[in-house]
Amino acid sequence: MPSRAYLGELEQIVLLALIRLGDNAYGVPIRQDIEQRTKRNLSIGALYRTLERLEEKGFVSSRTGDPTPERGGRAKRFFRAEPPGLKALRRTRDALDVMWEGLDLRRI
Amino acid sequence: MTRKPPRLACFLVRDEVVLGDLIEEYNTYHRSSAWFWKQTWSLLWFTGHAEQPERKRPVNLLSDFWTDFRYTLRTFTKNPGFAVVVILAIALGVGANTTIFTLLNSLALRPLPVPDSRRVVGVYQIFQGHAPRNVNGEVSLFSYSEYQRYRDQNRVFSGLAAYYPFFRATLAGETPRDMSGELATCNYFRVLGVQPVIGRGFADSDCAAPGLAPVVVLSDSAWRSVFASDPSMIGKVITLNRVRLTVIGVAPPGFHGGQISAADFWAPLTLDPLIHEGDSLKGDNLSWLVLAGRLKNGVTLDQARANLSVIAGQIDHLHPGRKTTLSVDVATFMSVPEERQGVLTVAKVIFAAVSLVLLIACANVANLLLSRSSARQKEIAVRVSVGASRGRLVRQLLTESVVLALPGGLLGGMAAALLLKPLFLMLISHLPSEVPPLTLDLSPDLTVLAYTLALTLLTGIVFGLAPALQASRPDLTMALRMEGSGHGAHGSHGWLRSALVVAQVSVCLILLITAGLLARGVQVSQTIEPGFRTDHIFSAKFDLEQQHYNELRAMTFHRLLMERAASLPGVDGVAETVVVPLSMNSWGNQITLPGRPDKLQDRFTLVSPEFFSVLGIPVIHGRNFTQLEIDGNARVAIVMESTARKLWPGQDPLGKTFSDDEKKPPPIEVVGVARDSHASSLSELDSIFFYFPLKADAQVPLKLLVHSKATFEQTAKALRAAVRSIDPNVLVDVRSMDQNLEMYRTPGVLVTELAGALGGFALLLASIGIYSVVSHAVSRRVREIGIRMSLGAERRDVMGLVLRGAMRPVMIGIALGIMACAAVSRVLSGVLYGVSPLDPAAFAGVTLFLAGVALLASYLPARRATRIDPMQALRHD
Repeated sequence: MPSRAYLGELEQIVLLALIRLGDNAYGVPIRQDIEQRTKRNLSIGALYRTLERLEEKGFVSSRTGDPTPERGGRAKRFFRAEPPGLKALRRTRDALDVMWEGLDLRRI
Repeated sequence: MTRKPPRLACFLVRDEVVLGDLIEEYNTYHRSSAWFWKQTWSLLWFTGHAEQPERKRPVNLLSDFWTDFRYTLRTFTKNPGFAVVVILAIALGVGANTTIFTLLNSLALRPLPVPDSRRVVGVYQIFQGHAPRNVNGEVSLFSYSEYQRYRDQNRVFSGLAAYYPFFRATLAGETPRDMSGELATCNYFRVLGVQPVIGRGFADSDCAAPGLAPVVVLSDSAWRSVFASDPSMIGKVITLNRVRLTVIGVAPPGFHGGQISAADFWAPLTLDPLIHEGDSLKGDNLSWLVLAGRLKNGVTLDQARANLSVIAGQIDHLHPGRKTTLSVDVATFMSVPEERQGVLTVAKVIFAAVSLVLLIACANVANLLLSRSSARQKEIAVRVSVGASRGRLVRQLLTESVVLALPGGLLGGMAAALLLKPLFLMLISHLPSEVPPLTLDLSPDLTVLAYTLALTLLTGIVFGLAPALQASRPDLTMALRMEGSGHGAHGSHGWLRSALVVAQVSVCLILLITAGLLARGVQVSQTIEPGFRTDHIFSAKFDLEQQHYNELRAMTFHRLLMERAASLPGVDGVAETVVVPLSMNSWGNQITLPGRPDKLQDRFTLVSPEFFSVLGIPVIHGRNFTQLEIDGNARVAIVMESTARKLWPGQDPLGKTFSDDEKKPPPIEVVGVARDSHASSLSELDSIFFYFPLKADAQVPLKLLVHSKATFEQTAKALRAAVRSIDPNVLVDVRSMDQNLEMYRTPGVLVTELAGALGGFALLLASIGIYSVVSHAVSRRVREIGIRMSLGAERRDVMGLVLRGAMRPVMIGIALGIMACAAVSRVLSGVLYGVSPLDPAAFAGVTLFLAGVALLASYLPARRATRIDPMQALRHD
């Protein structure tokens, strides 16, 4: 029952990246954005695997774009976060907020 | 600016869009190709595995292996009976294979036991085209002049030695004895890198003047056994073939020359004209020398081949029509191409047999694993449902089977190492006494170890693969719902298990029928009448040639000996011949009949007139040779009965003629017909066989045949004494005719024992297989049988039901086995002594026997089925 599920860490990160990038969300910029902000390596295999899982769950949709020469004439695939994805993000965020409430890591 | 990304990586990325992303980033951010590869790898990893990408599981086959290994050990310690059966089955199969391989390795693969042996090369020539050759040994050997050419012109060897192997010589002394040695060039020990431990090896001067101060080097074992480890042996003189040689050294222990038969001594090759009859050194077209060279540092085998073949080409140029190719390889005990060929042919047959046993063992273990894996359906289903990929599962199951195979292989390898030596000693104790002692280092080396390990791993994978692939594709929902007690497989493995039984039974039957046919052959060979008297017949042969006897001396020797032998106590008949019947020795020629254009191959012997009475072969038609014919060189012959029927069917053979050589005009006339007897082989009569009169001046190695009422020991002693009284240096070899018969019978007995042992293993393994399949089938059908019984089925019906199911694959296997065996058993005809390769007794007997054992193996578990209590069975989930 996906509507009740929470999102994994990488799923959240990828969904957030899609929202930030808006209309320009395809493979290269998504990876760049995540790597630059989180300072962590994200392999293209892991990225696509996550995107496919999100798409299977209906959290993300994709469309094929135009080919460009620097890609060797290959098409881009643009991703977009869908309402159920946004909902799941919010639910996860809420759950985390509830769990964090009143806690201070520095005092634990 | 666009760079080219790694092409192979691009090929591996199957998704065009993803590849576009990769190429774009590669170009825009100037990534390295290592980066490109890393990304490609991540794609392969994540698409190949179902794990959560967040968990980023490192690829670690080794740690997987350890996990599986520990898990396997835990499983098997819980169920040790199963593990023991599997390990024993594998040990049997691997052990049999390793034994044969060790033998082959020691014979034909292992380099000579000399320092840096990988650089010691054996050279042989293979002739094509028209190249008539005199041969002393094998045709692939070299003449002395050829050796000199290769020695002087090659640029690849630091030294090239030549030696004449298997040189038989008589050591003079109180009791003369036969020794076997090698006549070698004086660089022999330097080339092989062998340094005598006592004294010295040959110096070049030893070869320079052959007549002066000839020398000899003894082998360590000859020094110990013949000369009682005499510490002052160096400098002493021994007499070999009437030549006095000074001992200059004793070779290190364990060095026995370059051939499998042990050399007792080494003498310079240049001594040949003195010590050996003829003048082999001058024979430019005589094959008699083995070549061994040591490669210069940095020279490869291929370079050596190229360089030597240039020299071979130059020699060919001198002999129009001759074309020589060289065989150049690291020297082993079996380098001579002809010997190698023979050994490999036999080895192939034996390997086929032991591989079949291993195959049965694998099928057996596969079967056991299958029954286990259907009991483990639930465990596997759980693993799959928590996310184990199929590849990971197969890997786990294969690890299990390899872990099972390893101790089996270890046990088998150890058994082979321990049992091989006694086995080999038993084998060679059956060899005829003419064969010189064989030296074979049978201890396993790295090659054997690698072979056993590879075989074991392969075995593990072969028997584990089918069950693993089957098990890793479970029907999840079914298996999870099942209270998994082993009967949940729904017969999905049924066909595979039956197929394994079919294979086992048919392979087992092939081995058993082979053993059965051979046993029948042995049985017949014990009852074959050779056609002549064998009890109390003794033969004696002499080394007159080694003693440099000329014709006249030989004649005198024989006349004296005939007289003295005839007067020995107990002796009532003495004859002479050139070929002792059934001595693995035969003479042949080509004959033509008047009016017939074709040449016929015959076998013949020369005999004195007493031959027929001494051996009890009646001349049934015509007459024996007369003294006049013997003395007068008459062109007459006595034919064997069956030969007469073949050459002159329906006619009287007496007075018929044939010729043995067109250049000798008077044709040979048949004067008598002798009853059939086995002369050259116990298994079949010679198709054309003649007796010719033995002329007193014949330049041939004569043998004495004696019939004596005394025992073998007494007669042998008396004959030796008689020979010594004529010439104390002549060595005499006395054998009884019964020993000759044994020589023909033992190979058959040995092969039969081997086939019987393999067949027995196979039968044991196959019965275990059948037993396990049937008992598994019974436990799977407990509920069904319970229902049948509660509906009124009798125990007998249930038994019939189970047995019918069990025997179906057995019957198919038997049918296939019979067909396969009928197709291949013809190769055995040489050792079957006239038993047909399709002998009905062997086929029917063995088949019934196997069927009986299979029935028993299925009856035992089937009995359990009839004891099922219907009430309990119905409650049985």
